[in-house]
Order: sequence, then structure tokens, then C-alpha cells
Amino acid sequence: MTVFFRQAKALVRLSFLELWRRNDVFGLLILALALMVPLSMATPFGATGASRYLDEVALLLLWGFSMFVSLGVGSRLFRPEFERRTIYPLLSKPISRGCLVLGKFLGAVCASWSALALFYAVFVGSVLLRGGSLSVELAQGVALHFAFVALAVSVSMLGSLAMTPSANLTVSSIALVGMFFFGRRLPEYAGTLSAPLAWLVRLVYAMGPHAEFFDMRQRLVHGWGAVEGRVLAAVLAYGIAYSAVCLMLSAAVLKRKRV
Amino acid sequence: MDKVVSIERASKAFGRIKAVDDLTLSLGEGEIVGFLGTNGAGKTTTIKMLLGLERPTSGSVSVFGGDPADPATRARIGYMPEIAYYYPYLNARELLAFYGGICGLDSRTIRERSEELLATVGLADAAKRPLKTYSKGMLQRAGVAQALLADPPLLVLDEPFTGLDPLARIHFRELLRDLKRRGKSVFFSSHELGETELLCDRIAIMKEGRCICQGPVADLAGGGDRNLERLFLEVLEKGGAK
Repeated sequence: MTVFFRQAKALVRLSFLELWRRNDVFGLLILALALMVPLSMATPFGATGASRYLDEVALLLLWGFSMFVSLGVGSRLFRPEFERRTIYPLLSKPISRGCLVLGKFLGAVCASWSALALFYAVFVGSVLLRGGSLSVELAQGVALHFAFVALAVSVSMLGSLAMTPSANLTVSSIALVGMFFFGRRLPEYAGTLSAPLAWLVRLVYAMGPHAEFFDMRQRLVHGWGAVEGRVLAAVLAYGIAYSAVCLMLSAAVLKRKRV
Repeated sequence: MDKVVSIERASKAFGRIKAVDDLTLSLGEGEIVGFLGTNGAGKTTTIKMLLGLERPTSGSVSVFGGDPADPATRARIGYMPEIAYYYPYLNARELLAFYGGICGLDSRTIRERSEELLATVGLADAAKRPLKTYSKGMLQRAGVAQALLADPPLLVLDEPFTGLDPLARIHFRELLRDLKRRGKSVFFSSHELGETELLCDRIAIMKEGRCICQGPVADLAGGGDRNLERLFLEVLEKGGAK
């Protein structure tokens, strides 16, 4: 257990150093500050109540940034190891491929969470600047957002074993952004299609990563209140289960992969 | 002499291509064995089997009597790849800290070993520079340091002299001799016949997946005007087992 803890710690540190030395996050953070601070001071048409729509814009930016960061980190987990040939010294060390997958996942999740925490710090700052207050539903939204980031990392990590980082980023983004915006409409859409296509759409709905489950933006913006605890638990369980399946698939792919 | 590496009639096929064919080879404690051959002769596949990265299609490969696919066996192997473009955003000290963690070493050991090894391979002054600014030879030296980090009793080196300048070569040769004196075993593949002749106790020459010649360097290339280069050319021309 001690050895695995040390291995995981090394992989987490590696992911942190890679993320924070690439400067992407700093660029996004500056962009977030540049957009959110003016938004927090704006009172469109003098209507103070309209500020909640500014929250919607800010939250959408936050989701976009977090998706960019988590998919970027996840998509670079394995393929560059093969391209740089660092996979050889890595796999020649006393670490099993299963532990490597788990350690890399933990590293990527922790690194992405650190960036998300900073983005939320900026968001919360902008809310407080406008005289808003922190709420239970904000805490729930943050928890679900963090869970979503773990799911996004697991999806892109699986892709990183088969695709180049740019191809993986594109495919994972289409899957997650598509589900985020259109996921909830898929069953309804399937109803309007003829048999083979309808089955395909239902299959996508059944297998796809349901990013929309984790999205509490509307509740936060319109003040619809917190969700029930069991709903929150179910969505978190879905995120954990989906990530676990992706991890197991990644471990199976890496075990069979010729290096 | 205890067997550190034991390869018994090992073959490895990729589809219809036999990368390694019926190879039998061993390495004893405190021995340096050079593994020679032209490109595509099966040297890298053999090394991958030694590291548990490939399983032999037939025959067996064992290291310290264990399966190299087992992490516990690999804990006793230090491996340096031919060319690895180590994480460009890390510096040498961070690279060693990373590999030390993967080896399961504690922070104090990592710190002490890193300082010692960075001085040994001549990277102490460049330890804080990002690896992306390193030359090929410096990356090679960082590779040596990561291979030695856990103080393994067996070193497997793939083309260790690639990219090293003459001074670094001499220094590296001395380092390997010192490791041998300390009872470490070294198995390395190389195209550098001169270095191999100077360093190795035994050599094995591969051609098209088969070992066509193996034995002590002194016996094979040590008499009169014979040298390893001449022997190498002779056995490659003949191609038969010796």
C-alpha cells in the first residue's frame, strides 16, 4: 500500500507540474478574470435582478474552461508517453499497468480539480462582489461539477490509449459537449426517427457520458433551490460508475497494448 | 556464479515475422554482457522480453529466477532506453524524484540518491534546468541516472553510448566497471564495437533473430590481430551459429 501511495503521489505531482507549467490554465484564468470581473460590475439597463443572467454566462464559461482543461490533461496521459518513448522506462519500473492507469487518473483529476477550484474562486468572488451569497445549491453544483471533471478525465484517458491528443480532444469534446447540450433531448429525438436510426440514437443515449446530469446552472441561475439528496447521490454514483468503467477499460487496453 | 538472467530457447514472433528465434543466453552476477547485431536483429525485442514488456511466444525468460512481468522482479532491474525524450517540463532533479516515487522509494532516499547520481553523471550543475533544454548526451546521462536510482543489481541498457561525447563515454565506461566491481550485472545492446570490446566479459551476436555467436570476448576476439570488429564481420558473413 505504501508503495502504491508513493507511486500515485509521483504521478499526481507529474500531472500537476505538467498542467501548471504549460501555461494553458494561466491563460484561461486571465480570460476568466477579464470576463467575470467586468460582468460582476455590470447592471444591464439598470436592472439589478438581471445579474443572475450574468451568472449564467459566467457558469457557462466555467464549464467550457473546465472541459478544456480536463480533456486536455486526460488526452495527454498516454499517447505522449509512447511518442516520447518514456513509456519504456516507466513500465520497466516496479509498477503494474493497472496501478499506472489508476495513478495517472488520480493525477489528472487532482490537477484538473486544482484549476477548477481556481475558476470557482474567481466565480464566487464575482458573486460576492455583486452582493450575492453562497448557497446550498451552489455547493451541490460545485460538487457535481468536480464529479463531472473526473468523468471527463476518465473518458479522455481511455481515448489517449488509442488516439493522438488532438484527435482525442476532438472526439471527447464532441461526445461530452454534445451530451451536455443535447443529451436530454435524445430520447425525444429518437421517437421521431425510423427504426434503425432510432436504435442508434437510443444506444448513444444509453452508452454516452451524460454530462447534462451534472449541470446545475439553471437551478443556480433561476433560484430553483437545491436538489434532493438522493438525486445528488444518484448522479455522483453515476459519475463514479462511469469513470470506473472507463478506468477498467483503459487498464484492459494498456495491458493488451504492444509497447 | 549465480544466474541473474536466464533465457532458454526463447522465441518471439509478431505474426509471421520471427523477431527472436530460439535464443538461449544467460548473465551471471557481476558480469557485463554485450549484445550486438545489425538493425532489426532482435536486440530490442530481447530487451523487451527481459523487462516483461513482451512475452516470449515459446521458451522462457527469467530474471533472478522470477518472471520479469512481475513488478517485484522488475524492482531489481534498472533500464535505460536508447533515446527517451523525458518529460520536457521537468528538470533532472524532478525527473529523478518522479522515477524514485514510481520505484516506491521514500523521499529521503530519493533526495540522497538523486544528488549522488546527478554528480556521478555530471548533471549536478544542470539539475535545475528543464529537460527540454538538454542536449541528446545530457538526456542520455539523465537516463543513466534514472536507471541507477533504485540501486538495482541488474542494469539493462539499450545503446547506452548513443549521443555521448568522448569524455562522457570514458566516464560512463568507468562507471560501468565500478558497478561491476560492486557485483552488479550489466546487459547492454550496442553498435559500438570498440566500447563493447573494452567493457564486456562476454558478447552475443544476433542476426535475423538468431544468436549466431556468443562467448567470452577474450576467447572470441582477443588473439593476435583479431578484434571484435573483425569477428563481427566474419560471423555476420558466415551467418551460422558459433
